Amino acid sequence: MDFALDRIPAGRNVTVCPGDVFIVSYPKSGNTWTRFLIGNLIYQNEPVTFANVETLLPSIYVHSDRKLRRLPRVLKSHDCFDPRYRTVVYIVRDPRDVVVSAYHYAIKLRVLPRGWGVEQFVPALLDGSFESGLLVNPRFGSWHDNVASWLAMRHNRKFLLLRYEDMLEDPKRELAKVASFLDLSASPESLIRAVQLSSADRMRELEKKQAADWALTKNTHLDMAFVRKATSGNWQVELPPQTVACIERAWGSLMQTLGYELVSTPEEVSVTR
Amino acid sequence: MWNRLRHTVRAVLGVNPAGRRLTVFPDDIFIVSYPRSGNTWARFLIGNLLYPKTQVSFANVESLIPAIHLFPDRRLRAMPRPRVLKSHEYFDPRYKRVVYFVRDPRDVAVSVYYYSIKRRDIPDTMPLDEFIPRFVGGEFFEDFGTWEEHVQSWQATRNGKNGFVCIRYEEMLTKPMDMMANIASALRLEFTTKALAGAVELSSAARMKDLEKEQSADWKLTRSTRQDVPFVREAKSGGWKSKLSMTAVLTIERKWGTTMKDLGYQLAGDMSETRSKLEPV
Repeated sequence: MDFALDRIPAGRNVTVCPGDVFIVSYPKSGNTWTRFLIGNLIYQNEPVTFANVETLLPSIYVHSDRKLRRLPRVLKSHDCFDPRYRTVVYIVRDPRDVVVSAYHYAIKLRVLPRGWGVEQFVPALLDGSFESGLLVNPRFGSWHDNVASWLAMRHNRKFLLLRYEDMLEDPKRELAKVASFLDLSASPESLIRAVQLSSADRMRELEKKQAADWALTKNTHLDMAFVRKATSGNWQVELPPQTVACIERAWGSLMQTLGYELVSTPEEVSVTR
Repeated sequence: MWNRLRHTVRAVLGVNPAGRRLTVFPDDIFIVSYPRSGNTWARFLIGNLLYPKTQVSFANVESLIPAIHLFPDRRLRAMPRPRVLKSHEYFDPRYKRVVYFVRDPRDVAVSVYYYSIKRRDIPDTMPLDEFIPRFVGGEFFEDFGTWEEHVQSWQATRNGKNGFVCIRYEEMLTKPMDMMANIASALRLEFTTKALAGAVELSSAARMKDLEKEQSADWKLTRSTRQDVPFVREAKSGGWKSKLSMTAVLTIERKWGTTMKDLGYQLAGDMSETRSKLEPV
């Protein structure tokens, strides 16, 4: 029935057209912020909000394929490597911050099992035993699956890698990279405007007004924010050392490739083994 | 338009082949490869190991180890578990137990060329030199990505991890017993040397060629293709040396040389200028 009524979000079945641009990341890695930044650069007269982001830079998980074919083709995706995506802006974030963010988001989504602390949540996230729709869909893979599958393709397509931490450090510089990658005209003024219109403060203000309507947040705890801290390194206060060791043991070598310094001692790694 | 309608009707009836839409169970075993890289041989080998009494043939291979690209999800869901399935998919994070076959892309290219003629995708008048650039550019098997994308997507995510074993077609030819032992150990199955040898014997190219002669008009994969071009062709390695021009070889190596070297395939041309995949991000 849903199929006939065209209600099923496209997801992996999205029809890919030449010229499509995909904004791809593992969940909780800065995808929404990147959509705001890019959207505010593309649409000089219409600031991006939670009310229009799904029509300006639509998510493949929100609209049906048919609807998507009538919308602008700068698309948001969390899928693992898909050979049909020919132009990809990929955002990667320190996985220790990603799991902290995912933990709070799981509470907001009401999908965290009762009584679970972050030290139960993280190992279940790592071994794939925790699954929940949009937060960790099996098709997204683990953080490692997702990042490794795309990173291996960075030489055989139009591919731009952004680090969330670099974006925090200098959003204007990173957005300029995107502009030149996508051949968007970008004056210094338009870059500054886009960065300001996409600031964490402005996104929080917009969320307060619009969260009840946005597809991603409308059925979640509205007293918890989607735009949370928007910082890096918060894992250092939120994660117990054994949880950090657990992440670094599983994904350490890929983290190092990406420039994320490991902190666990060999003893901590072996204790939790 | 008609294709879309046909697809929609088939989707409503639930008869579209599963492919990427397959429901995956955690105990599923997948035999995965790029097309023309020894997947059918692997199905015979593994099938003959798991079902020695039945003996795999082209008549029963699709019920013993069905291809996810030939059957609807509904039908595959009804199979007894654990299922053993054939897949040509690029990396799918849901596959937890994978036997991955990789083959020298120069031989894959030659094999795809003849297979495309068999399937009437290209006329048999098309020269190999015209086919190769199109193959390397990703024109055939679009749904599965290019050879390099396919291999890279699995290697980058699963190499060295539990539940994954990568078998080179060439080593399967030269050391079949060692490779069969690797497969069994990756699947955490125990077999006697005699059982391994029996499976290799029952899956020889000669036997498969005989079976194809009798059964190819019935097998789903070959029944609507040209019967004068065989599916089981040379079953050898290095055939590219006599088939491909140096230009064709260099076209492949320039594009995929780094990945080929990483897998231990020696390059014929000078690739001093190819970039290393191991460079830091």
